[in-house]
Amino acid sequence: MKTLTGVTLALLPLSALAASTEYQDIERGRYISVLGDCAACHTVDDDRPLAGGVPLETPFGTLIAPNITPDDATGLGRWSLEEFKAAMTEGVGKGGYHLYPAMPYPSYTLMTDKDIHDLWAFLQTVTPVENDIEANQLPFPFSIRGVMRGWNWLNFDERRFEPDPEQPDDINRGAYLVESLGHCGTCHTPRNFMGGDGGDKFAGATIEGWYAPNITPNRHVGIGAWSEEELVEYLKTGGNRFGFASGPMADEVHHSSQYWSDSDLSAVARYLLSGAGLESDDWDREPPEPLGEDDPQVRAGSHIYFDRCSGCHTPSGGGEEGIFPQLASNPLVNGDNTTSLIRVVLAGSRPVATDAKPTAPAMPAFAWNLSDEEVANVLTYVRNSWGNAAPAVAAGDVADIREALEEE
Amino acid sequence: MKKRDEPAASGGLTRRELLGSSAALLVGAAAPGAAQALTFQGTPEWKPLANVAVEPVDESAGWQFFTEEEAATVEAIVERLIPADDLSISGKEAGCAIFIDRQLAGAYGGFERLYMHGPFQDGTPEQGDQSPLTPGQRYRIGLAALDDHCRREHDARFAELEADRRDQILSQLEQEQIQLDDIDSQLFFELVLTNTMEGFFADPLYGGNRDMVSWKMLGFPGARYDYRDYIERHNEDLEFTPVSIGGRSDWQAQG
Repeated sequence: MKTLTGVTLALLPLSALAASTEYQDIERGRYISVLGDCAACHTVDDDRPLAGGVPLETPFGTLIAPNITPDDATGLGRWSLEEFKAAMTEGVGKGGYHLYPAMPYPSYTLMTDKDIHDLWAFLQTVTPVENDIEANQLPFPFSIRGVMRGWNWLNFDERRFEPDPEQPDDINRGAYLVESLGHCGTCHTPRNFMGGDGGDKFAGATIEGWYAPNITPNRHVGIGAWSEEELVEYLKTGGNRFGFASGPMADEVHHSSQYWSDSDLSAVARYLLSGAGLESDDWDREPPEPLGEDDPQVRAGSHIYFDRCSGCHTPSGGGEEGIFPQLASNPLVNGDNTTSLIRVVLAGSRPVATDAKPTAPAMPAFAWNLSDEEVANVLTYVRNSWGNAAPAVAAGDVADIREALEEE
Repeated sequence: MKKRDEPAASGGLTRRELLGSSAALLVGAAAPGAAQALTFQGTPEWKPLANVAVEPVDESAGWQFFTEEEAATVEAIVERLIPADDLSISGKEAGCAIFIDRQLAGAYGGFERLYMHGPFQDGTPEQGDQSPLTPGQRYRIGLAALDDHCRREHDARFAELEADRRDQILSQLEQEQIQLDDIDSQLFFELVLTNTMEGFFADPLYGGNRDMVSWKMLGFPGARYDYRDYIERHNEDLEFTPVSIGGRSDWQAQG
């Protein structure tokens, strides 16, 4: 009896320790799943988290994000940690099939072993859901997963994150979050014709009918003129004085960045604003000269702005903090890509509602009221007033987006 | 400023809190009776492209309610109710007949928002219009009766008469010196007069007030809604050009 008690006593602290480490791993893993925004693609229904089913429209066809709950038959129930790690870092699923890079393994490959381990520990605790999904809905020849072998050879480097010893810890933490878990470049870096990383890192790209804007430190078209606080405010609350997260970014803020810790958001802001990880030649450019007031489009646009926009955005483009974005000196307005600008004027937009800013003030649609020429004129005016400078908008571009929106 | 907050801070009840809580009590007491109240939670629904305020009238689409003959009569009326002069073009040129036609073809023509079932009886003047006739019926009957009257008395349809003669007949209608068949002549005249004025002053989007002619005449700046920057500028020409819901010509790039 005595001996037995001794054994029991000796075992207790060990198992308690094991349980507590496991708990910490799982909680860390839960936060990593938020950082990686797994829910964006793998959760359709908040009552069945991570059971898959979000259709992803790619230029090559549709993919459906699979079930990653620990269900034996339809989820990851029979996977091992090693198999999970291969999917995250090599883009290879259990049994050796190739994943499509809509799953951002080209970014997750940078994850530390510890983060993959903890994420896996968390995924084991998710309620298993039986939900059989055929991820691959691509047309031939993209439907042949083997083609990804060639794609990976051309577009993918398997590697872990290496901190830059020249940079302070917070910049390195920001780099890890941005490049790996946050996979910001998946939307904000232009794709090449194969859908791979196309250079011009963070220079902005079109995605799902929206423009994921330039997030380089360029002061005119990027976020270089934003303060660290303004960038953190955007990611944390869904908006700052320049605008509110809409389209795919609304989902990102909703599921992910509003829950990031303040220190992680500051690290992200410092990394992005520092330009570390970018070649300065790529973003450090002089802004163009604005079109003159006597430009016919600018002149016509000034009348439309005065009649239709100035009531909220104010005649000087200053907006109203917290509700109407400031258009003056606004990099989102100056971008080369006008997809989002045209879209928001035509269809209106309701941005993300967050715990911090629950109002989600909507922009009304003007498609019923403004012709293609008029939308082009007013945007040309806004893009060339109050410190903004950018090329004129063509009515044909407005017509194309109007057609696409009406089909949606 | 500090002092005003003190009673609340010390735990007392401020007047505002008292008013607020009694209001809440009143609402609470009224709630069982207000069974049709709706409760919204979260964010109201929002859809892209969804807020279409009004479909503009297509002026070239042809008559929607009137026959060609009726339309000619209405144009001949509105041309005299608002004649062309040095202040403005005529009611006909401003599109008042198109405005009336489109209104009659829509919900207004059948008084769709009014209770239009019996019993119908003459009310007191305070009770206003008690006629069982919808605006569409009033025009249909009234225009036919007016032409009948003109054929009997002047051997021509109303639209074929000289301007002076038309003015005379309209005055007689207004003063009930002419009795139309099947409709009270004053009821008919006042409806046409009211609708003509509405067409002349309403937003051009509805078919009348062509090129915002009446707004330019009056100096009315149109569909604008924010005067914060001008509210203090009294007795000054702000040089606002009128703007329609559909815009104005300056919106197009010129040159």
